[in-house]
Amino acid sequence: MISIANLHFAYRRKPVFSGLNLELRPGHIYGLLGRNGMGKSTLLRSIAGFLFPQQGSIDVLGYVPRQRQPAFLQRVFLLPEDFYLPPMALERWVALYSVFYPRFDQEQFRRTAAGFELHTDGRLDQMSYGQRKKALICFALATNAEVLLLDEPTNGLDIVSKGQFRKVMAGAVDENKCIVISTHQIKDLENLIDRVTIIDEGKILFDQTIDAIQERLVFRLSYDPEETAGAIYSEDSFRGSALILPNTAGEDSRPDLEMLYKAVMLRGERINGLFTQKQRR
Amino acid sequence: MTTGQYFSFSRFRQLVALHWGSQKKLYLLALPAIGGLLIVWGVFLLLMDNNSPLDDGMQAFTYYWGLGLVGCVYSSTIFAEFGSKAYGIAWLGVPASALEKLLCGLLFSTVVVFVGFTLVFYLVDTPLVKIGNELIARQHRVWLGGYPIGPNPVWSLWGGLPGDNFDSHLHGLLVLYFILQALFALGSVYFERYAFVKTIIAFMVFLLLFLVLEKQVMAHIPPHGWNRYTLSNDWITNGDTLRVKEVRVSPWITGPLGLLVLLGIPPVIWVATYFRIKEKQV
Repeated sequence: MISIANLHFAYRRKPVFSGLNLELRPGHIYGLLGRNGMGKSTLLRSIAGFLFPQQGSIDVLGYVPRQRQPAFLQRVFLLPEDFYLPPMALERWVALYSVFYPRFDQEQFRRTAAGFELHTDGRLDQMSYGQRKKALICFALATNAEVLLLDEPTNGLDIVSKGQFRKVMAGAVDENKCIVISTHQIKDLENLIDRVTIIDEGKILFDQTIDAIQERLVFRLSYDPEETAGAIYSEDSFRGSALILPNTAGEDSRPDLEMLYKAVMLRGERINGLFTQKQRR
Repeated sequence: MTTGQYFSFSRFRQLVALHWGSQKKLYLLALPAIGGLLIVWGVFLLLMDNNSPLDDGMQAFTYYWGLGLVGCVYSSTIFAEFGSKAYGIAWLGVPASALEKLLCGLLFSTVVVFVGFTLVFYLVDTPLVKIGNELIARQHRVWLGGYPIGPNPVWSLWGGLPGDNFDSHLHGLLVLYFILQALFALGSVYFERYAFVKTIIAFMVFLLLFLVLEKQVMAHIPPHGWNRYTLSNDWITNGDTLRVKEVRVSPWITGPLGLLVLLGIPPVIWVATYFRIKEKQV
């Protein structure tokens, strides 16, 4: 669905990607994690055709994104962190804009908007940032674009709306769609994404499915100093030490993405080594 | 890429509707604002000019300066928002082709602004000229020497500049306006910030280079003893001031060719703008 090969990109003198390779397949919600300024947004904009590779290639649904053909733009929707909505009534904007998307579902838009408690009869220029973001999320989902790229979608959303966001996103994915969510607010994506891609300094540091992570790593609290000493990564908490350990006994645990992220940043090689070892076996 | 991916009438219509829907407040507010400025200028002339305020020359002057200013300022903003990440993604991400986006921008910046300004101009100009004529008649104004000042006609855009000149036959100023306007549209998509000022600077640099080329290169092309006197002359002479011999391209070639070149410039700039939009990154 999305194939990125040997991507090189730099802003004037600041290199962002130097030889990035990535494959994204349909039927998944990808969590693109990383620090600010490490290339998450650049990657999304490159996939959507707003930035052009200086070397290498990007293939999205068989299209070359930089050509920005109408058929491509109908099937790929980018929800940027900074977005523009014109000063007009939401309903009018949806009526005028939705005609460009052949698979746009008005009923789905209304349903999602109702879930977000968004009043569709309001004016966009009189809405708060969070409300406008909700309107754009509802629109993005209703386009039924096969590739949905969301850049920091939970920024500006209140706690209830973040929960609602997770709910609607979980229901939005099917075997034909690929959703990529870029964020540095990892907690917002827990129980939502099924593949974690961590990007740093323009490189993919870690790229595994949640199933694979559960299979190879154990996340648990422990009071045992010996166990803590042998952990790949540990954090002290009021309830003991939160650990990440190799899953040698086939235990079932819920991955803590924030801890996993920190662990990858600090002990990336060791963690990735566990996955490559398993693959070799 | 199929033809439909380059241009589709229904998509173009939808794009125009989207642009109008999101910008109509600006257009509708701009019209009375322009009208207000024209009224202020017209009243100023009526108060200050005791001889013949708002004669056809002054009307033409007002029209072209007003149109030039409004048109070029608007053109310099039409694609300038591409420089903003948020707006650029919103507009370039609309599922329409670069050609449709260019044509939509040109429709509003070239056609709508021209028609809108012309309508407002005549809405303001016609009653002001009438008032001016009444003032002239009531106050029995006369030229120096005692000749009575006659009523002024409403200047006609289609007649060009008053009198028998290049513009009254070929609408040279109107063509020049569309050239400048196309340049400012290109500048708006080329420069990310301060497009209006940067386009003026770029245009001046281009003019300077052209003059240098004219003086340093073209002047040396004629054979020894032959001169080209000015930029606009299409003849060369041997001799200094006396035209001992003169070589000139026939006017039936230079006339249509000149017009063709003039009329051809805006489309060439629009093509450049199209490729710039296609290659625009945000």
